[in-house]
Amino acid sequence: MAEIGQVRIRIPSSIKRGDVVRVRSLVIHPMEIVQRDKAGKPVDKNYRFINRMIVTYNGREILQADTTQSISENPFFSFAFKPSEAGTLKITFLDTHGGKYEGTADIKFS
Amino acid sequence: MDLLRGRGGVSRRAVLRVLGLLGVSAATTPMVLGAPGTARGQGGLGVLEPEERVDATLQRLFGGRPIKDGSSLIRLDMPLIAENGAVVPITVEVQSPMTPASYVKRIYIISDKNRRPMNARFSLSPEMGAAQIGANLRLGGTTDVRAIAELSDGTLLVAKREVKVTVGGCGG
Repeated sequence: MAEIGQVRIRIPSSIKRGDVVRVRSLVIHPMEIVQRDKAGKPVDKNYRFINRMIVTYNGREILQADTTQSISENPFFSFAFKPSEAGTLKITFLDTHGGKYEGTADIKFS
Repeated sequence: MDLLRGRGGVSRRAVLRVLGLLGVSAATTPMVLGAPGTARGQGGLGVLEPEERVDATLQRLFGGRPIKDGSSLIRLDMPLIAENGAVVPITVEVQSPMTPASYVKRIYIISDKNRRPMNARFSLSPEMGAAQIGANLRLGGTTDVRAIAELSDGTLLVAKREVKVTVGGCGG
């Protein structure tokens, strides 16, 4: 699990002004699920999972998400985005153990 | 006073310990209450939250506000049968002009039979151009999955689909 927190972002290779593009992102993360003891009772501990995603474009927040353990391991998210100018898309993931994982993608018009 | 000064180190430690405990409870309380907007920045600890029925979740999130049928406006894309409940792709698209005057403010994904039915909550902005989001869900078993959209004028719309799950993906 050395690569925990690796963020990959995919955007279409050619974007024209006015296009609504589909951004796909993936972060490597275990997203721990609730464990149960022998009696079947859920174990109370600080589970490690991503509980927040923040997407910004040139510093402006365009999307946020509150996520839970009901999201798969190595979470994948996609969303629509209509860039108004060229710039940098940044996706930040925060987990319950203080981890902060970031990825960026540059958007240029062709 | 003498007594306090004499044990200065110990009592300071005790005070700090109490403060630490307070800090922890302050961080976790809003999560338990689930009040929207509290999860800014680091969203708190991953403490075990109580099991919840879907009615209770809806009550907690929307407080009895009417939820209208939005199946004509919401497109919910997911498999009818998911072989593996650990990874169930979902896409939600809501028809909306996405202008500052009228846009989709939030999209909730709720799967009825999970231990904690709310899977994820997305807060959108007009800059997205289209109200479309996708994710991979964990489903504990065959369940209804709802996508609830909250529009900028406060209207709540819901679309629902049943997904058959062969192997559950939630330990919880």
